[in-house]
Amino acid sequence: MIRWDKRIKLLFLLPAVIWVLALTIAPLFFSLYLSFTDVKREVVITGVEEIPILDKDGNPKTRSDGSIRTKKVKQKELQIKYDWVGFKKYKRVVNDQEYQDAAKFTFIYVIISVFVEIVLGLFLAFLFNRRIYGRGFMRSLMILPIFATPFAIGFMFFTILFEVSGPLAWMGIPFLSNHNWAPFSVMLVDIWQWTPFCFLVFLAALQGIPDDLIEAATLDTKSAYKIWTSVILPLLQPIIVLVILLRVAESAKLYDYIASLTKGGPGTATQSVSFLVFNKAFKMNDFGYASAGSFLMLIVVMIFVMLFFTRLRKTYE
Amino acid sequence: MNRNQGSLLTSIYTIIALGITMIFFFPLWWSFSNSLRIPKETFTVTGVGIPFINFTPTLGNWTHQLSFPEAHIALYNSSFIAVVSTALAIIVGLPAAYALARFRFRFPPNKDITIWFISQRVLPPAAAVVPFFVLWNMLGIYDTKFGMIIVQTTFIMPFVVVIVRQTFLDLPIELEEAAMVDGATHIGAFLKVAVPLSVPAIAAASLIMFTFAWNDYFFVSVLMMKNFTLPIYIAGGVDSRGVQFWFIAVRTMIAVILPLILCLLAQRYIVRGLTLGAVKG
Repeated sequence: MIRWDKRIKLLFLLPAVIWVLALTIAPLFFSLYLSFTDVKREVVITGVEEIPILDKDGNPKTRSDGSIRTKKVKQKELQIKYDWVGFKKYKRVVNDQEYQDAAKFTFIYVIISVFVEIVLGLFLAFLFNRRIYGRGFMRSLMILPIFATPFAIGFMFFTILFEVSGPLAWMGIPFLSNHNWAPFSVMLVDIWQWTPFCFLVFLAALQGIPDDLIEAATLDTKSAYKIWTSVILPLLQPIIVLVILLRVAESAKLYDYIASLTKGGPGTATQSVSFLVFNKAFKMNDFGYASAGSFLMLIVVMIFVMLFFTRLRKTYE
Repeated sequence: MNRNQGSLLTSIYTIIALGITMIFFFPLWWSFSNSLRIPKETFTVTGVGIPFINFTPTLGNWTHQLSFPEAHIALYNSSFIAVVSTALAIIVGLPAAYALARFRFRFPPNKDITIWFISQRVLPPAAAVVPFFVLWNMLGIYDTKFGMIIVQTTFIMPFVVVIVRQTFLDLPIELEEAAMVDGATHIGAFLKVAVPLSVPAIAAASLIMFTFAWNDYFFVSVLMMKNFTLPIYIAGGVDSRGVQFWFIAVRTMIAVILPLILCLLAQRYIVRGLTLGAVKG
């Protein structure tokens, strides 16, 4: 550690801290306030103005008596009113069938997709850690989905899952039109995009395990299964936990895939919390409901993160 | 284990790995192949749609789509927003990364500051979006590239902080001390010694940040109207005539190609970047 002039130390750190404080914490507090209010957006007529009617050359039109023709234009102003309503919005959200369904769907979605991603990622990492031909090339192909634009991916899968004559139509599964299948189709997209990420992290972790450790274990037992359960998995455990944390937090945000793949449908079968909140806020103008709904979700995610907090702190020594 | 058995196992593993790789690659491939087919062949194509073998490829969809100004506007807006937010995030975030790697803060301690930066990536954007909408309208930067850049910069900044912090930690501190003995100021040591030595990590962080800013749809769909970016442009491929798969394929490709290339370039740093510095990779 360099002994540092305190002012310069802060000069380095503070711009980023202030930027982030101003743009994440401040909006969060505002959102908290909104969740206790009923927001009404009203267009108020503040006055009437007379302006001349112009012809197509831009000159004012005149009447036969020479006076300038005018039209009356109402001056409008968007006014936002905040009425304090206490916990009313929270009560509505909690009792709202639509919110309950969205929360249930998001919850199941997160559990199933993260579980499949972890298991499949571990399997692939195991496979790619073996001696195989063309590993570098296949690894490059495998990780392509990670960076692909999620919203575009939704559309891509829309063409692939197209039930009438898409490439998977031969399976005869109503991927997007059946309310039982549609949630799995959305999970499929998540699994497709994020299994490669889990795979890549686990592979890096596996390759970081010293060879002599594995060799020492092979002296004890010949069973590959035993080596995995008693040596490799315990070594990978902190990383698996971290990946679960990251994936849960990320996939709980679910919005992009739905916006392009199912639009929450059929019915409301694939409506996630983010998607519902978005619709409530910007299609139905209910800012209070949206803020309360998203705050409840934030609290759940935060509780989950807190469970891992001590471990996370250790990672960054 | 004799050698024959070893190579047999290698072959079996290779075949399984190749099969899974192909399954994962298929959606991207299908979209690419779709973009080269005439509309009539969208669903009549046989096999897995290999150009010249299963169908005669044409660039018709591409030239048709790229001839419209919307494509250019979307590409320009997306690139502009992503490039400027990445640059801003680096200018603001890099000194913070350096500060967290080199100096000790007592209250709060360094690791808590780091975790606090990371916690933004965990925060569900839905919780912040309504305030942004209201504030942006009040400030008059709703539906402007400027407003979008501010939002994107905020949410990509953690990447540069955590990725480059780790690189600064790995740099021997003696180099900066030597520069300071030679008369360099603190800021000089940072700019002339630490930053040049961390260029690969900074470049990788930039690629990751660029991609995240480029890929974002949630904030774009809330805070942009006329100033549309690529995702909104893609959505335009579904119109009153129904879903035009061939145009969607082209538009998807336009959006996805750049991130895919960047992904390959940043390969070495993806693990560190996306695990937010927790796994070195």
